[in-house]
Parts: sequence; structure tokens; C-alpha cells
Amino acid sequence: MHNCDSLDPLVTPFVDGELPDRDRRAVEEHLRVCPPCHSRVTAERAVHDLLRARRSTLCRTEAPDALHLRCAELVQASRDEQANAETAETRTSQRLQNFQNRELANPNWRQNENQNLQNLQNPNLGTPNLRTRTPNPELRTLYAPWSAFALAASLVAVVGGAFYVATDNTRVMAAQLVADHEKCFAMNSALGTHQSASIVEQSMGAAFDWPVHLPDEPVRAGLELVGARLCMYGQGKIAHIMYRHQGKPVSVFMLPKTMRAQEFVEVLGKEAAIWCANNRTFVVVAGEPRRNVEQIASFMQASLH
Amino acid sequence: MPREGLRLVSPAFEAEALASLDSLYRAALRLTRNAADAEDLVQDTYLKAFRAADRFEPGTNLRAWLFTILHNTARNRARDRARDTVAIDSEVVDRAADAPPPGSRSAGGPDTPETLLMRDTLAPDLQAAVDELPEQFRQAVWLRDVEEFSYAEIAAMLSIPVGTVMSRISRGRHLLFDKLRALRPANA
Repeated sequence: MHNCDSLDPLVTPFVDGELPDRDRRAVEEHLRVCPPCHSRVTAERAVHDLLRARRSTLCRTEAPDALHLRCAELVQASRDEQANAETAETRTSQRLQNFQNRELANPNWRQNENQNLQNLQNPNLGTPNLRTRTPNPELRTLYAPWSAFALAASLVAVVGGAFYVATDNTRVMAAQLVADHEKCFAMNSALGTHQSASIVEQSMGAAFDWPVHLPDEPVRAGLELVGARLCMYGQGKIAHIMYRHQGKPVSVFMLPKTMRAQEFVEVLGKEAAIWCANNRTFVVVAGEPRRNVEQIASFMQASLH
Repeated sequence: MPREGLRLVSPAFEAEALASLDSLYRAALRLTRNAADAEDLVQDTYLKAFRAADRFEPGTNLRAWLFTILHNTARNRARDRARDTVAIDSEVVDRAADAPPPGSRSAGGPDTPETLLMRDTLAPDLQAAVDELPEQFRQAVWLRDVEEFSYAEIAAMLSIPVGTVMSRISRGRHLLFDKLRALRPANA
């Protein structure tokens, strides 16, 4: 026989039909002699039954068609990325294989390539050196590390690219924003200037039907506001906020009413971090290492609203 | 930023995952209370799910797995963005959940048959009463009674022990019962 206190943890699983037979019988026995517990179980069961009975009414809200489409596109995008990743892996392994084959066939090939490079960089060396099989030992010392670095860099570029390949649409968008990033900084010589957040917010706010609120303390992320412009994108205007980070240009684009997946893409030698909030798309573009751009994007994501 | 590698998404996985979109969207709406944020949350959930498809164990509940990703993503977002809204203190909620439910052993339980009370409840009143429940209780009751997940699945989604899941369901149901009883004309 249970007392009321020991019944407590059993009431909900009893109502849900989740109790083993032995416990269920013990609860039923207690309920026969304890009206308060009986009322309690009856109340809980009534709500449980009501919610189940009205399930279809409660679940009437459906996701917008556009969201269905976007999520279905994500599947295709992930398949494309998978295919790209596999292609890149194949290319990488082929490069490694080529590297090993060349190493086996001709251990001096790297030195020759170094000299090719040297000749390209310094035409005064003349052509004879291009074909030499006994390279200058000084040149070998000078350029051997470069060769190793070049190989590593090419592998990183291939493998790295494979993991962050974005959908074509996103790439196109990112490419256009990277072009705007270059163009606006070059045309406005903005890098050497400084601008206050309130002035930029005011000018941007006047141009859009939504207020632009910039981070209060960009310096916390090592950023300094240098200006803002309106850029054209598709059929409308977008906000282009320009910052300086460690002396280099950083752009933050705000695209109204455009939803995209959160992504990180490398386009035209720049990194672009993309995310959405409040039915807007934000893109940070910079020519800095991905880790730095991630930090800037995280800061912006937390501060922009 | 998404950092994972990408995994092959089979057509069966895709179809089953996308079939849960409406219920995920409803869950996202309950979590964010904002259509744009809910859409964003659902999209992020699918992106993560497709990227981590190989980590899903076939034979387990894919819908529960998606709900877990959705709730984890929502929690991480709330934490990362340090929203200015005051978050409900889980401990306070759980202490409240531990308190004896109304009518448990006190005098004066419901006087009328509960089944009649429930029969008379209008759909808009029920929806409103559910919406007004405190977040944690609302989630627990909804996931159990409407979405029909197991205690263990809900525990994984909400990142709380199974015992806490049960006490939140219990407390939530009793709060709902009291709200609906108060709506009865006889008690008005």
C-alpha cells in the first residue's frame, strides 16, 4: 500500500500508462481509498486526454511554403557539397600520388621546380638554369622551404575549400558583396577615416524602412567604424558598413528581407560569413584568416539588431 | 558558423526528416514566439541535421532527434546572444514543480466531473491556456501530450533528467487544469 508521498512520482507515469503492472496495481489500490489523490489523478488524466483529443486542432499551424522549399533546398545543397568534398578528396589524393610518383621517378624534381620559379621571378638568371640537373646548392637552400609550403598551401586550399563549399546562389551573392567590399573601400579611400556610429545609423536609417543599429563598442572586437554606403543588390539597396580591423578593411552588409542559411564561404580570396536574424541577412567580408573573420562575425551576430 | 564536414543524405532520411517540418516549425514558434526567428531556427536545424546525418542511429526516432537538435540550437542561440529578456531560472521552475500540485491532498478538489470540464473547453481557450503556461511546463506538456514523445526523448531534448521531465509534465497539466476550470461559466 502506497502512502500519498510515495505516490507522487508515480502519478504522471500512471496517467501516461508507463508504469509496470505491479506499480500500477499499487496505485489503483491507493486511489480507491484516497479521494484527494484520486482527484489529482483524474485532473491530470483529463488534461492529458483533452490534449490528445484536440491534437489536430492544436497542430493546425503549418510552416510557410517558402520554408518548406528552403529546407528541401538544403538537402540538395548538402548533397552537392558532399559531391564536391568527394571530388576534392580525390583531387587531393591524386596530387599526393603524383607527388609520390614524381619523388620516386626523379628525386630532384622539386629543385628543378624551385629553379623554374626562381627564373620566373628573376629573368636575369637566364634559361640555362631552367634545365640544369645540378642546381646551385644555395638556391636549393633558399627555396626548398618555399616548395614545402607551396605544397602544403595547395593541399589546404583544396581540402579547406571542400568543407565550406556553398550553394551556387550563396557564392554568387558572396562574390558580388566581395566586389562591393573592394570597390567601396577603393573608391572612398575610407580606410584612413573615422565615422561615428550615430551618424551612420542615421543615414542608413533614412534609406531603409528598418532601423540600422550598429554595435555600441566595436573596439571590443578590434573594429573601428570608417564609413557606410548604400550598395545595389538585385532590385534593391543594401547597407554596407565599413570597418577597419588591424589596419585592414572589413565590410558588414545588411540585406533586408532575404533569408539564407548560415554559411561560411571563401570567394575571390576573401572570407564571407553569412547569417540571418529578424528576416535580414548579414554578411561579413574580409581578407583576413577565417578565424579572425569568424570572431568578427560572432561579435557582429551578438551585437547587431 | 557551421564547421562540420558534410554527410550523405539518403532520400529516405530526407523524406522522413522533411515530413517533420510542420511540427518542428510549431515547436520553433513556441520557443521563439516569432515567425521569422522560428523559420531561421528550423532552417538551422535542418542544416545541422543534414550535415550530421551519419550520426543518426537508424531505427531510433528521427523526429525526436530533429527535435533535440532544434532545442539544442535554440538553447545555444539564447546563450550566445545573451538576450536581454530575463530567462526563466530552471531551479526556480523545478522547485515550483516539486511543490504539491493544487488539489493533491488539500481539501476541496474539483467538485464536478473533470471529463465534463474538458468536454466543454473551447479550442481557442485551450490554445490560449497552453500558450500562457510557463515555458518549461508548456514545453514538457506539449512534447508529451501533443507530440507524444517518450520521457527519455523529452529529457534528451530539454537536457534535463527524466524525473524532472515527469514533474514538469505533472505540474504543467495541473496548471492547465486550473486555468481551464477557471474559464468555466459556473466558476466565473
